Amino acid sequence: MDQQGARFDDRPDPFRAVRLFVLFFRIGALNELQYRANFAVQLFQSALALATGLAVLGLVFGQTTSLGGWTQAELLAVMGVHILVGGIIRTAIQPNMERLMTDVRQGTLDFVLTKPADAQVIVSVREFRIWQAVDIVVGAIVLAIAIGQLEGGIGLGAALVFGATLLLGASMVYCFWLILTTAAFWIVRMDELHELFDGLYQSGRWPVTIYPGWLRISLTFLVPIAFAVTVPAEALTSRLTIETLALATAFAAVLFVVTRWFWRFGLRNYSGASA
Amino acid sequence: MTSSAPTLTTLATGPLASVRAWLGLYATQMRVAIASQIQYRVSNYFYMIGMVTEPVIYLVVWSTVARQQGGSVGGFTPGEFAAYYIVWTLVRNMNIALTPWAWEERVRGGDLAGMLLRPVHPIHLDLAGLAGWKAVVIVLWLPIAAFLSLLFQPTFSIEPLGVVVFFIAIWGAYVLRSMFLWLLGLVTFWTTRVGPVFDIFFTAELLLSGRLVPMSLMPDWARRIADFLPFQWTFSFPIEALIGKLPPDQLLGGLAMQGLWIAISASIVAVTWRLAVRRFAAVGG
Amino acid sequence: MPDPAIRVTALEKTFRVPVREAGLANAVRSLFRREHRDVRAVDGVTFQIAPGEVVGFLGPNGAGKTTTLKMLSGLLYPTGGEATVLGHVPARREAAFLRRITMVMGNRNQLQWDLPALDSFELIRAIYRLEPVDFRRTRDEFIELLDLGTLVDKPVRNLSLGERMKMEFVGALLHRPQVLFLDEPTLGLDVTMQKRIRTFVAEYNRRYGATVLLTSHYMADVEALCRRVVVIHHGRILFDGALTALSANFDTTKTIGVTLSDGSTDLSGYGEVLSVEDGRVILRVARADAPNVTTRLLRDLPVADLTIEDPPIEDVIERVFADARDERAASEAAGPR
Repeated sequence: MDQQGARFDDRPDPFRAVRLFVLFFRIGALNELQYRANFAVQLFQSALALATGLAVLGLVFGQTTSLGGWTQAELLAVMGVHILVGGIIRTAIQPNMERLMTDVRQGTLDFVLTKPADAQVIVSVREFRIWQAVDIVVGAIVLAIAIGQLEGGIGLGAALVFGATLLLGASMVYCFWLILTTAAFWIVRMDELHELFDGLYQSGRWPVTIYPGWLRISLTFLVPIAFAVTVPAEALTSRLTIETLALATAFAAVLFVVTRWFWRFGLRNYSGASA
Repeated sequence: MTSSAPTLTTLATGPLASVRAWLGLYATQMRVAIASQIQYRVSNYFYMIGMVTEPVIYLVVWSTVARQQGGSVGGFTPGEFAAYYIVWTLVRNMNIALTPWAWEERVRGGDLAGMLLRPVHPIHLDLAGLAGWKAVVIVLWLPIAAFLSLLFQPTFSIEPLGVVVFFIAIWGAYVLRSMFLWLLGLVTFWTTRVGPVFDIFFTAELLLSGRLVPMSLMPDWARRIADFLPFQWTFSFPIEALIGKLPPDQLLGGLAMQGLWIAISASIVAVTWRLAVRRFAAVGG
Repeated sequence: MPDPAIRVTALEKTFRVPVREAGLANAVRSLFRREHRDVRAVDGVTFQIAPGEVVGFLGPNGAGKTTTLKMLSGLLYPTGGEATVLGHVPARREAAFLRRITMVMGNRNQLQWDLPALDSFELIRAIYRLEPVDFRRTRDEFIELLDLGTLVDKPVRNLSLGERMKMEFVGALLHRPQVLFLDEPTLGLDVTMQKRIRTFVAEYNRRYGATVLLTSHYMADVEALCRRVVVIHHGRILFDGALTALSANFDTTKTIGVTLSDGSTDLSGYGEVLSVEDGRVILRVARADAPNVTTRLLRDLPVADLTIEDPPIEDVIERVFADARDERAASEAAGPR
């Protein structure tokens, strides 16, 4: 009998998620490269946001020499991390989650669910807005300037820990977004989610240690902004303790497992928007 | 059934009837907006939490600075900052107007055509509609305001005149900001690349309105620029009126400035709207 | 003859369309010097419509129908010629004018999405300043005519497309306009719904003597409502006259769809075979022969299913256009213009 259909490569592939990501990234990048004018617009918006941020820092340090124990250079580093992580979120995380929300509302998620790959991986890597990555570059530049102003600069160890905490933080933000978006399986109208997150994310512009206790705890465990911005900034400014690092690692792991479970739970309940 | 000539079923004319008709239009549109918004409590609460975060950040930063500087900065104690930014949340809800981004969808999606077929200027429906929305969000806002007051211990020095001026000024702020955002939205009729224009406006507003910090914390040159711009009448003025930062002459002078700016912006809106419609009717939807 | 409700004289609309070429260099150049091309959407249209008349406005997509309707309702300004509607110049968009007309566009929603239609009707009352008692009477009359009694309390978002369109009609006519511009009002609706809306428009026209200008892709709409049609193509009027004249002149065929239970498909002996698909044969026969051919088919063959239809309106109009082209070619050949 003739072989029906294409042949499958059934070998286990531990890097399948990475491969899919690279594939979707290329498609997304090629698509957006057609709209070069958007690059100029994004550049302009990033410059304006940066100028505003610097103006605010200037206002604060026009009145004081330190804020909650952080010097101006250290707060500049926090701002750099904030812009950089914000860029990562808007480049890779938010677009995917918004598309997922649209899919749930319009019942088009079925197209994803019928693909022979892990659905969570697909919904997480489909969209990529390269022009938003301008913020990643801007954040990195601000960070470099801040590090130059820090007393003693930073060593290789601190840089490595910084990289690690950044990754942990980004993964926690991703988990947070996916949990909220999965909730869209039940609550179909979640239009304000984006604005809610943007509003909350602004709090990361300052080290969460300056906030009162209840708010600090919320910004750490309810919305992982402390882990995404403050903890990496602490790594750069020799503030990070072993305990915090261990907590960040443990919390990231727990959050990841919970997210995966919640996503699968959501999928089981998903029946497609029939409306 | 009659087959005679059709009769128009409009209300009687005359100045009094006209006023009543306008009030009726505003009341009906507000009712409709309220009924519609009440269905989206979850969305509105999300919006509210995101909205409240902004002043809480400013408040924490500036009261930290005030404490470090021996109790006050720019004439504000931590308690006064708390009062400023808690009133800020109400003023913000009040001065929210139609986002200029909505115009892109209006022009492209065809809603504009429907608006042009109506025998009233569409700004009235926008003003009344968002006024109704405010009625809903302010009910949601009350517990949040109580919660914030409990946490941050604001200190007010409330004067009767300040309160009266505040309640007029928040509506003045709403009308004034609506005019400017409408104008901004109308830019959409001439170009599709509106993003940068909007961004410049909102950045200038953030820095020069008292939204970011009380104007007394801004450098002198920035305050001098702000005096020639409308922004501070939509944020700083109503807030400072209520928390007792303004003497009577500035309270009344502020209302006059609001009125002046509303007159100016409304005239510009009237002219620009005509030009915009002419342009739309020339190039087609 | 009374003054016409709509008077259109040599009406023109030319759009300036930017010419854009591909490539970054061209995109940058176009920032400084835009090149434009003029597109004539409406090219000298003249007609008059008497009060109370219902006229079908026909033509293929892009013929200029919607552009004309928009000019008559004040949404677009003409670039040439004149239009008056009920004595008003539409482009001035006077409130007194807007109160006397309405425009319904298929697939467009003017009602508040999240609320029962009744709330939207109240808003319309306030916008048009309708007298409350009179408003209620009109509203209830329309609700009854369209059989919407149980639906007016439901949020509009929960209504079906057809129900929503019926509500849309109620909302669009509450101020009892004297001139109705209906642009594809039955688009996407099922046959019963289309019929319902047609009946309603006819009844409104009968009760209030309103003037109606209608565009539709559905011949049935036009046949049911309009005694007169205006056919427009490339912005020019090709035909203006009685619908019967149009059909008699141009639509001389019927199409018969047949499915045979034995699965055979060779029916070339009965008429011109247009297509065969899944055992279903589409035949074209002369209009006069249709009854005869049908009788023969039913008598001679094991017919499982049989339908007789008018050719789609596009076909009829296609024929009008074909003739118009021939005429123009003939007149151009006859001598210099």
